[in-house]
Amino acid sequence: MLSSLFQLLSVQNYIPHGVCLLWQPGLLWLHVLSDATIAIAYFTIPYALVYLISRREDLAFRGIFLLSGAFILACGTTHVMGVVTLWYPAYWLDGSIKVVTAVASIGTAYVIWQAMPLALALPSTSQLEKANGQLAFEIGERQRAENALREANADLEHRVAMRTAELEAEIAQRRRTEETLRASEERWRGMFEASAVGIALTDENRRFVAANEAFQNMLGYTDEELRSLGPVEVTHEDDRQATQAMIDHMMADRKAGYDVEKRYRRKDGSIMWVRVSTARPPGADSTLQGIPTIIEDITERKRAEDAMHDARDTLLRVARFSTMGELSASIAHEINQPLGAIVANGQACLRFLAGPNADIGEAREAVEEMVNDGRRASEVLRRIRTLVKNTAPERGPLDVNNAISEVLTITRQELQKHKVSVQTMLAPDLPIVHADRVQVQQVVLNLVMNGIEAMREIDNRPRVLLLKSEMSDNQHIAVSIEDSGVGFDPTQVGRLFDAFFTTKAEGMGMGLSICNSIVRAHGGRLSAAAGALSGAVFRFTLPAIEGAAS
Amino acid sequence: MSDRSVVMIVDDDDSVRKAARRLIRSYGLAVDTFASANQFLASGRLKETACLVLDVHMPGMSGLELQSHLSASGVAIPIIFITAFANEAARAQALQGGAFGYLIKPFEEDDLLDCINRALHRANAADGEN
Repeated sequence: MLSSLFQLLSVQNYIPHGVCLLWQPGLLWLHVLSDATIAIAYFTIPYALVYLISRREDLAFRGIFLLSGAFILACGTTHVMGVVTLWYPAYWLDGSIKVVTAVASIGTAYVIWQAMPLALALPSTSQLEKANGQLAFEIGERQRAENALREANADLEHRVAMRTAELEAEIAQRRRTEETLRASEERWRGMFEASAVGIALTDENRRFVAANEAFQNMLGYTDEELRSLGPVEVTHEDDRQATQAMIDHMMADRKAGYDVEKRYRRKDGSIMWVRVSTARPPGADSTLQGIPTIIEDITERKRAEDAMHDARDTLLRVARFSTMGELSASIAHEINQPLGAIVANGQACLRFLAGPNADIGEAREAVEEMVNDGRRASEVLRRIRTLVKNTAPERGPLDVNNAISEVLTITRQELQKHKVSVQTMLAPDLPIVHADRVQVQQVVLNLVMNGIEAMREIDNRPRVLLLKSEMSDNQHIAVSIEDSGVGFDPTQVGRLFDAFFTTKAEGMGMGLSICNSIVRAHGGRLSAAAGALSGAVFRFTLPAIEGAAS
Repeated sequence: MSDRSVVMIVDDDDSVRKAARRLIRSYGLAVDTFASANQFLASGRLKETACLVLDVHMPGMSGLELQSHLSASGVAIPIIFITAFANEAARAQALQGGAFGYLIKPFEEDDLLDCINRALHRANAADGEN
C-alpha cells in the first residue's frame, strides 16, 4: 500500500508538462492562472452546496447535491493537478484523481438522469408563484366569503335577537292578557256560580248550554238534564206559547230584550213563578253565543200579591155589603113596592072573580099587573144580587150608562127619602169600557151615597144630584157626580182619597179610598173638585175600548 | 051619601097606585089616583075626598108633609098611610097627626078595608055633624 502511494507520487522518468509548453512563461502563466481560477471557482461550489443543504432542510435531492459537490470538488482537483504537473510530473496521481473524478461524474450523471423525471415533476417557481397567486386569490376569496358569511351571521343573530325580544314581549303581553282574561273569567264564573238568582244561557237551538246552580236548584234538574231542555220545555204549558214567541222575536232581532213574569213547571211537576230578564248581547259580532237569561224566583211575592188581591177583593166586597147594608131599608122598599102591588092586585082579582057576576076583564087586568110587578121585583133582586155576589172580580165589556141607571134604581128610594132630586146627563153614544161591572157600580153607588150624605143638612136650597157621563178625551170616558151639598174644605182635597180620612161622624173613611183604588186598578183616575154653585163634583175616568163607540 | 064619597090615592109608584085603585074599586068604592101631593092639592077635589090613601115617601111633598099641610089648613080628611118602609118614627108621627092607619106594604086587604070603612064612617059622621 505504502508502495502504491509512493508509486503514485513518484515521478520516475516522466517529463513535466511545462516541457511541452517549452517553458514559455506566457503560456505557463496562462495555464497556471486559468486552472487555478477554475479550481478556486470549483472549490467554492461544493462549499456553497453544503451550505445550501445545511440551511435548507426541506430541499429535495440532497444526495444529488452532495454527489454533485463531490464531482465538482474532484474536477477542481484535476485543475490543481494540471498546475502541479506543469512542473512536477505526478501523472499517476493526476490520472488517479481523474479516475475519481470520472467515477464521481458518471455517478452524478447517472443519479441526475435517474432523478430527472422527479426533477421535471417538480413545479417551477413561476408555477409555484402562479399556484401561490391562485391560492392567495382563493384564500382572499374565501376570506371575503367568510367575512360576508360572518357579517350575514352577525346580521342574522341581530335579527334573531330582535325577533326574540319582540316575541318575548308578545308572549309577555299575551300572558298578561290571558291573566286578565282568566281573572275576568274567574270573576264572572264566581258570580255565575255563587249567584242567588238563576242564570242560564240559551243557544240558537233553544237549548240551555249553561245553567248555574241556583237555576238547577230552582227547577230540580241537574246541569246535564237541563242541557237537553230549553226555556220552552221548562215553562208552564199555559205560558209556553208566549215564551216561544219571545224567543222567536229575540232570535230574529226584532226585540233586544224581555222582562216578563211567567210560570215554570219544576221537574217534580210543581209550579213556580219567575221573573225572566233576558237581553241579546249588544252587537252582532259578540263572542257570546246564545241568549243570557236571569231568572228570579218570585213565587213568594206572587203568593203575597195574590193574598193581597184576595184581601183587597174581600175589603171591596165588605165595603159593598156595608153600603148595601145602609141601603137595606131602601132596597126593602124597592121590593115591597111591587110585592104590595101584587098582593093588592091579587086581592082585587079574587074579589072580581067572586060571586055570580064575576068581572073577568078586571080580573085579567089585575093578573097582568101582577105578572109585571113580579118581574119588577125579580129585576130589583137581580140587581141587588149582582152587587152582593161573592164572586171574584171579572172584567168585561160594560155600558157605563146602563150601570149608572141600575145604581139609580137601587138608590131611588134612598134619594127620595132624603128629598134629593136626581138629574142625569148621560151621553148617548158613549163607547163601551172594559171593566168589572160590580166594582164600577160600587164606585157610582159610593159617590151617590156620599152625595146624599153631603146634602143631609141642606134645607135652604134644592138637594140636587147631577150624574153626567161623557167622553173625557179620545181614550177615556168620564163619569161625574155633582151634589149641592156642603162641599169639602179645599185644603183637605189631597187627603180625600186616603184610607180612614172622613168628615162624617159615623164614617169609616174607606169609601173614597176604595173608589180610588178601584178606578186606578181600571186604569182611570178619580178626582174631586168644588161644584159649579155649591157642593162637590167627583169625577172618574175609565179607558174606553178602542173602536167600540156605539 | 054625602059629597065626600071618593077614596083618593096619592102614590108616586105607578103600579102601587094602580093596584090600590083596583083593590078599592073591587070593594065597590069610588076611587081616584094622584102621582104626587101637589097634584092632589092642585086638583081641587078635596071636598069630594072621603078618605086619603097616602104614600109616606114621595118626591117633593111627602105623605107626612101633606098630612101636616092639610091639618094646618084646617082640612080634616081621614088619612090612611101606606108605605114600603117599616119606619117607627114616621109611623108615630103619622098616628099622632091623626092617621087612621099606617099600613106597611104588602098589607092585608082586611086591614085596608077596615081602615077605609072606619075612615068613611068618620067622614060620614063628620058630615052629619056639619
